[in-house]
Amino acid sequence: MKRKQGRIAALFLLPYMIIFIIFRLGPSIAGLFIGFMDWNLAGIPEFAGLDNFKRLFTDEYFMIALWNTFKFFLLTLPPLIILSLLLAILLNQKMRFKSVGRVVSIIPYVLIPAVVGIMWSWMYDNNFGILNYYLKKLGSQGVPWLTDENIAIISISIVVIWTYLGYNMVLFLAGLQGIPRDLYEAAEMDGATRIQIFFRITCPMLKPVASMVITLTLVNTVQLFDQIYTMTAGGPGTSTLTMVQYLYTTAFQNYDLGYGSAIEVAILVILILLIGIQNKILKNNDGD
Amino acid sequence: MKKLRGSVKYIVTILICIVFLFPIAWALVCSVKPETDITSYPPKWIPDIATLSNYTQVLERYPYLSWMKNSLITAVTGTVLILILSSLAAYALARYRFRGRKIIYGTIVAMLLIPIQAYMIPLYLLCSKIGLLNTYAGIILPSVANVTSIFILTSFFKGLPGELEEAARIDGCGEFRIFAQIMLPLSKPALSTVTILTFIANWNSFLWPMICIRQDELKTLPVGIAQFMGSVNSNAQFQYGTSLAGCCMAVIPTLIVFLILQKHFVEGIASSGIKG
Repeated sequence: MKRKQGRIAALFLLPYMIIFIIFRLGPSIAGLFIGFMDWNLAGIPEFAGLDNFKRLFTDEYFMIALWNTFKFFLLTLPPLIILSLLLAILLNQKMRFKSVGRVVSIIPYVLIPAVVGIMWSWMYDNNFGILNYYLKKLGSQGVPWLTDENIAIISISIVVIWTYLGYNMVLFLAGLQGIPRDLYEAAEMDGATRIQIFFRITCPMLKPVASMVITLTLVNTVQLFDQIYTMTAGGPGTSTLTMVQYLYTTAFQNYDLGYGSAIEVAILVILILLIGIQNKILKNNDGD
Repeated sequence: MKKLRGSVKYIVTILICIVFLFPIAWALVCSVKPETDITSYPPKWIPDIATLSNYTQVLERYPYLSWMKNSLITAVTGTVLILILSSLAAYALARYRFRGRKIIYGTIVAMLLIPIQAYMIPLYLLCSKIGLLNTYAGIILPSVANVTSIFILTSFFKGLPGELEEAARIDGCGEFRIFAQIMLPLSKPALSTVTILTFIANWNSFLWPMICIRQDELKTLPVGIAQFMGSVNSNAQFQYGTSLAGCCMAVIPTLIVFLILQKHFVEGIASSGIKG
């Protein structure tokens, strides 16, 4: 019986596995090897040993991109946890139109990110943008949203937060609805205040969701590209250059495929390390 | 007091909705203004003259309809293929016992962590070697190696009761018929979730189609539209009206699919999120 099952399972699996191995697993493994090559699209690939990886550590642009990615993470994570939790709590209350609120807040997430970048650039425009118009009306000078080296990274972070807020809200909402009712009832019977209930029951019970949101934000930040590409393309200067933007420029505009692969490997290693560290920290906290 | 709290809730909810819809609404309003009015001061929410000239301009000056066609073909074909191949594979992983099952499932799920950015150079070399650059297949096939769908469908199939299957087997029903005529109809919720998640992912996909396609007529919508921006193409004579019109038209199909299937979308986020 088991043998027969195996044959049938193989038939069911085969079409997917062929595509999966050729277009996903294979390239992922091959990338590790190309990183050891000196490979320009025009020339013949040559073995380069660790050269590409050594170059990473002395490459000023790569370090800037790494640092910018880290800044994006720090700028977007706190709002993405706090605001989406508050939004979930609001939309979990008994009230009319809450389902409208839920649907509307996910809309930014389903829009084409490259297009979102264009829509926001229009609002951020220094001269004709509607945001500066309102700010000037309030008596401010207006903000050079995308043209100032220090501000551009914040402006793009706002767009990222706007995009993912509703998505994270759904995660928190599912978490909130998974907390057993009797926990709240028991706490109320014991005379706990609403604030106590929030910090002693709701927050600890939502820890798995929060950890999920952190992982997703990590993955999304490391992948950040589309919106930035249409808003600033990494500028002004290198102030919003991310790792993927640098990878794209290196591999597909300068056609340095060997070094590009080294950047790919670095992105992967950083991602896995960060997720590993995050899981470890959260697990240690559980032990307390 | 209670009444006051109630109305505060409504006001906050309305404000939040405004924040989420603001950029889209403003883009829509500006896309129907004549180019000279767009940059006029002060900006107006109700245009003096409403015109579709920006829309006709986009269609005339760029191969916009080809982009739209390319996006539709690649996103729909990709989604259909994902549905077929993933449900077959996920069914085998969930319902059959065979050697290597755990390793295969583990390998697939481990790839959840590896984004396309981490393997797009080898993928590019592969596609150029087998002649998939500048083809629909070059965009579609990598998207069919989808991992999220396997993850969602496997956990759904695992939850289905086994009695139906057993009864059908005793009646002499073939394995493929059990899958197609008994199990699949029971899986509509999970299949809807996969449909909406993968359609939106395919429709919005940007980086890989940009690398894979260099010919203007073969580009997908996001890649074509990105050329409107000055940051991308410094030669472009940048006009906000036309690019906003292009943006609005590109966003409509996703909005329609999303509004029809939004219930499944929300469930999909919630279930894949919590289990992940």
